Amino acid sequence: MGPLIPNGLIPTEWNFIIALIIGFFFGFILEASGFSSSRKLMGVFYGYDFAVLKVFFTAAAVSVIGLYYMDYLNWLDISKLYVHPTYLWAAIIGGVIMGIGFLAGGFCPGTSLTAVAIGKIDGIVYTIGLMLGIFIFSEFFPIIEPFFLKSYLGHITLADSFGISPYWIIFIFTIIAVVAFYFADIIRNRVKKVFY
Amino acid sequence: MSKKYKLKKFLVRRYQILATILLILSAGLVLLPKYKKNEGINPDVFVKNAMNTERYISTDILVDRMINQDPSILLIDTRSEKEYEDFTLPGAINVPLKNLLEDDFNNYINQGAYDVVLFSNDNLYADQAWMLGNRLGYKNLYVLEGGLNQWFKTIVNPAEPEETMPKEAFDLYAFRKAAGMYFGIGIVENELADNKKENTKPAPAKKVIPVQKKKKGAPEGGC
Repeated sequence: MGPLIPNGLIPTEWNFIIALIIGFFFGFILEASGFSSSRKLMGVFYGYDFAVLKVFFTAAAVSVIGLYYMDYLNWLDISKLYVHPTYLWAAIIGGVIMGIGFLAGGFCPGTSLTAVAIGKIDGIVYTIGLMLGIFIFSEFFPIIEPFFLKSYLGHITLADSFGISPYWIIFIFTIIAVVAFYFADIIRNRVKKVFY
Repeated sequence: MSKKYKLKKFLVRRYQILATILLILSAGLVLLPKYKKNEGINPDVFVKNAMNTERYISTDILVDRMINQDPSILLIDTRSEKEYEDFTLPGAINVPLKNLLEDDFNNYINQGAYDVVLFSNDNLYADQAWMLGNRLGYKNLYVLEGGLNQWFKTIVNPAEPEETMPKEAFDLYAFRKAAGMYFGIGIVENELADNKKENTKPAPAKKVIPVQKKKKGAPEGGC
């Protein structure tokens, strides 16, 4: 049956409208759970608040388990879902830059926009920097393109690169998530409380 | 113990409970018995398609499109290689039924650019090829109704209409005769011998662009 749009159950034209609605609620929930505060986001790095880790780990675990159950029950064809292509070294370097930016600026791209929405000045500055970064990257792309494309691995997933069943990966991932939550709580209890 | 107290005691453990649910569900995925999934379209859709006669294209319509040099048709001969070498339709490409799903041949029928017309001596092989292709969700597959036998009956050697037949029958006959002429039927033998060199040249095979696996540039996003 699913995915609904590639299988023609919903016309392709609805793509952007649905994306807009989902994006609206995504932003709303990010804001409502306090993710527009850079102090809360930074808690992960200083050990006083692990909400970010928990939220994104839980979101990934719940959705991947749900999707694979739907695939098992034939409600959804998992092979039709979009898998982002992997450019290994480009992703590693991009990840490092993003991490530094996250740590220095206190936001990740999505949360910076929720901060802009509620009128936070640091969020506005961060977003301007984000746009500037995108501009610089785009302008210099012809120079870095050979390097960018060199480590292209295609639309692969962990299951492809390790050669084990995706079910096992999901199970291991869930265990890692639960263990991470457990240790996150231990760390948080040991670190001095920060009020923000 | 009051109800409220019980609830409170339960809620203290809510994170453990939620974590256990996640673990049980993910372990369930590992433990569930695996089964092989059907490839391609749903069986009921397939049956509906198979019952439908829309896939058939008559020799007259095909000939009309060929004479008008319709660039969108791609003729596929599903018979064996030997039969293909003995006789085939002009411009046809040989994809033997048994090789249909091999990579080299599969590209010809799994593509969206042409209307693929499958044919064999009768409908049999072409229909089988159509079934395989349709089952895998290939688009624009057609079957030449009656195959090459029908081609001989209608284009190469059309039956002359009787005098009592309606005007349409005579028009059709004239059309078929003319179409036959177009393909060089009825040309005197020595003329044919003169042109033999040209005639024996195989028609240039059409260039086929295989369908790229669709990975649309879906909206990207992170956190």
